[in-house]
Amino acid sequence: MKIFGKIRVAVALLSLVYILIPLLVTIPASFTSASYPSFPPQGFSLQWYTKLLERPEFVEAFWNSVKFAFLAAFFSVLLGTLGAIAIAKYDIPGKSYLVSLLTSPLTVPQLVLGIALLVYFTPMLLAGTPTGLLIAHIVICVPYVIRFVLTGLSGFDYTLERAAAILGANPLTVFWRVTLPLIRPAILSGALFSFLTSFDNVTVSLFMISSDMRTLPLEIFSNMQDAYSPIVASVSSVVIIISVVLILILEKIHGVGRLLGSSH
Amino acid sequence: MEPVRYDDRQEIISLPLQPAAARKRRNWKKYLYAGLLLLPLLLFILGFFVVPMLYILYLSFIEMKGETNAVYSIGNYIQFFTDPYYLHSLWLTIKVSLYTVIVSLLLGYPVALTMAKCSPRVRGLLTLLVASPLLISIVVRNFGWYLLLLPNGTIHQLLTSLGITESPPKLLFSEAGVVIGLSNAYLPFMILSIATSLYNIDPSLEKAAAILGAGPLRSFVSITLPLSLPGIVSGIVLVFSMSMSAYVTPALMGGANVPMLPVVAYDQIINLLRWTYGSAVSYVLLGITLAIVTIFTRMMERGRYREVFR
Repeated sequence: MKIFGKIRVAVALLSLVYILIPLLVTIPASFTSASYPSFPPQGFSLQWYTKLLERPEFVEAFWNSVKFAFLAAFFSVLLGTLGAIAIAKYDIPGKSYLVSLLTSPLTVPQLVLGIALLVYFTPMLLAGTPTGLLIAHIVICVPYVIRFVLTGLSGFDYTLERAAAILGANPLTVFWRVTLPLIRPAILSGALFSFLTSFDNVTVSLFMISSDMRTLPLEIFSNMQDAYSPIVASVSSVVIIISVVLILILEKIHGVGRLLGSSH
Repeated sequence: MEPVRYDDRQEIISLPLQPAAARKRRNWKKYLYAGLLLLPLLLFILGFFVVPMLYILYLSFIEMKGETNAVYSIGNYIQFFTDPYYLHSLWLTIKVSLYTVIVSLLLGYPVALTMAKCSPRVRGLLTLLVASPLLISIVVRNFGWYLLLLPNGTIHQLLTSLGITESPPKLLFSEAGVVIGLSNAYLPFMILSIATSLYNIDPSLEKAAAILGAGPLRSFVSITLPLSLPGIVSGIVLVFSMSMSAYVTPALMGGANVPMLPVVAYDQIINLLRWTYGSAVSYVLLGITLAIVTIFTRMMERGRYREVFR
């Protein structure tokens, strides 16, 4: 009767390989010496990395991605943390409805959100502008921050704040020296998660970009649609390395599985 | 949501000490603070999410007669449900999403079961491996599959050398390619959702079954599987609704050969600039997905195993 368990483990290993294999083949494929993408790679060369640096659109798209991800994470954390603190701390009527409303962008497909924002932004002259793209990214990131900070505050002992106030701290000092340090892991993981969500985003960004402002995933997307070249493999490898580093930090702070478990 | 302990205690402590007026003033001040903290977020979500969503709902009921003349009508919706091209696209979207759900369920359940049965250390590692691809851009993951599915690529060679197929099947730019891409992208959601419900099963139930003489298969079919149904159902709902509205994977792995509804909606908005019609297609997509998901969930909750959903 051991056979049952063996089949289970075999299929489980197979699906793990299935999940991870697209990431595992991309990095070796970027070192190909051929002029077409393939796996297994042909020979070994670094030419697709040097070519990457010679293509200004990729370099510019990379910095754009970093910039927007940073700004999106900053504003999402700012808006989301303050809002979540207010929700957790004060007795607001209809609290659960409020939380559902504020996290509702997660329940709408990104395609529909992209369409809605494009159609809405065009008369406001925000379509195709950096501001429009940033707003769209904050809309998809801020619900995660709200959820993480609310979870972080759910075990929060408010007598600590009272104690600090009794000892003479003003409300700002209380926030800065007591509340903030205690929810720092939640805020940090919200920031990293937002950074990654914005850095990776394709669907919403597709509706928000213009020809002179693109992000790295969109550059990969259009290169995959038009001309397949091993340069896509080297850009993708760069994205994978950056993401893996951030994911490992996130795992250290909070646990990736716990974050995703609480967000869906 | 946790009850707000701060308020409760303060009420108890301050009740005999403070006159009603002071308490009332304090309450008013608290609402002011809460409002000031919440207001930016609330305005942001209302202004850049709720209003745009309502705006395209409104637009979907506007029909353009000629260039400038706009009238209120349900013409966009009628056009959708009477045009064979769009109906075929809708059917294709549902079909591909169903295949994706089946593949994710079959591949995901054993992983979730392994996660539930292994030591906490291994479970942590497995969770990290399963969840982290979700934080890596979908275009990158699609590119990996593109490399593997190329004609005469790794998968083709594997299939022919194993003797499964003689002539290599068309995988890239086909429904199969889209199903592979989507199930790869959403499998982690299925696994995490099933695993959560498996963690909650009382291990003594399986021991009791073993004592009563049930083999592992019997115990799985009559205990573990039914008790994990809530996780299975929520996994199916998640994977199905995300597949229905996925744009990037169908565009990259299917291309023009697999015109799923999101691809069609994108085309209407970006290339044809038919905003009112594109808005209607968006709401059709939302409505149909919601309807299928609701019917499915209701059926499961009223089915043979209705107790496990309580």
